Amino acid sequence: MNKVLYVFDQNDEKEYHYNITEDTIIYHYSLNSDCKVDVHLVTEGVTFYYYYNNINYDDHTFSIDVHHRKGNTHSEVVNHGVNVGEAKLTYYVNGMVPKECSKCICNQDNQIINMKDGKSTIWPNLWIDNYDVDSNHSALIGKFSEEKLFYMMSRGISRENASRLLLNGFLINSDSIDLNQIDWFMKEIEKI
Amino acid sequence: MLEIKNLTGSIINNDYAILENLSLTIPNGEVHVIMGPNGTGKSTLAKLIMGHYMYEVNSGDILLDGESILHLSVDERAKKGIFLCMQDPTVIEGVSNSEFLRTARSSITSEKVNLYSFIKDMESGMKEVGLDSNMLHRSLNQGFSGGEKKKNEILQMKVLKPKMIILDELDSGLDVDSLKIVCDNINQYMMDNKDASLLIITHYPRILEYIKPDYVHILKDGHIQKTGDIQLAFDIEKSGYSGINDIAGDESHE
Repeated sequence: MNKVLYVFDQNDEKEYHYNITEDTIIYHYSLNSDCKVDVHLVTEGVTFYYYYNNINYDDHTFSIDVHHRKGNTHSEVVNHGVNVGEAKLTYYVNGMVPKECSKCICNQDNQIINMKDGKSTIWPNLWIDNYDVDSNHSALIGKFSEEKLFYMMSRGISRENASRLLLNGFLINSDSIDLNQIDWFMKEIEKI
Repeated sequence: MLEIKNLTGSIINNDYAILENLSLTIPNGEVHVIMGPNGTGKSTLAKLIMGHYMYEVNSGDILLDGESILHLSVDERAKKGIFLCMQDPTVIEGVSNSEFLRTARSSITSEKVNLYSFIKDMESGMKEVGLDSNMLHRSLNQGFSGGEKKKNEILQMKVLKPKMIILDELDSGLDVDSLKIVCDNINQYMMDNKDASLLIITHYPRILEYIKPDYVHILKDGHIQKTGDIQLAFDIEKSGYSGINDIAGDESHE
């Protein structure tokens, strides 16, 4: 990737606008914040990865719009949230490919883990106006899988430590992350 | 020693008993095999021993070294020395193999594991089971082939040093060469740990060409119908489970 950006929100309300002109990865770490992201892929052939990792305690909304403005553009949006308490957490995730943009790839993967009885909602939307687009979306809301916890516990790991390993894996979900950049976020994971 | 006494077990909240009044004793250092037709309860037995959340013991008891383990959580059973090599090991995205193994080893030994010596141990262990060392840094079982998953299970066994090992259909998904490597590692482990016991659950006697059992049990209709030596497994291969009544062997093993 040509460009790697780290973005942080803590107890905040923010809007971000990006015009993507070269291959880019954005790692976005968000603690208990409202956030609106607007992305435009404006150069032919660019690839764009967006990893949103979010810890939530109160009622909050995250939305991201990815506009494919040129042909052969590729977007991969991965949103992972942990709703710690019983608050509302809402994700609006929109991928848009107009008719004039050919051979685009537009994917999104959304997951929220409810640690308790939080009211989480995901709206995964794909607005595709072209027949040659490769596009997928997924949305999952729930708790950590009992089968995963069983497997880890069957190797002697306590339920608490197994959950912690899963939390870390869920919120720090790319091998290429510079961990020094997200030291504060890792400390926030430990507080969950 | 593992003792299973008059065990009746089912899927949780389901009245239908998969295992009925099953008794089996596996003394230290012995290798036992359970064979049986599909759906007869072989994997259910393994999961009941390990304490799987989908299964429950309706009556009877499971004892390890004379103490009941039924009240113990899954991790506590593992700490007592029970190891279940899974039929289809779970994929855990985001948790690296090394992080998982290191946490498991420090949980079992209750000691902090030195990173440098751990990595060195793992590299030699992976070489012994025929896994590429870069798999240590990949997410647990993610993108592993069926054979690699099974080899990774055996690597975990070597790292955690259990005393009661249950192999649930180890041979499924393994080619002939991989099966031999995996079985060589198990045999070496049994030689190095004379008190360790082995329970092999399998459909086919192929694995028994590499690991020699002390006893073979045939599980049918929820309980052990026949017990014999390795010849019983080869007889079953020839005549099938429907002809079990015509095959020589003891009626039970307790």
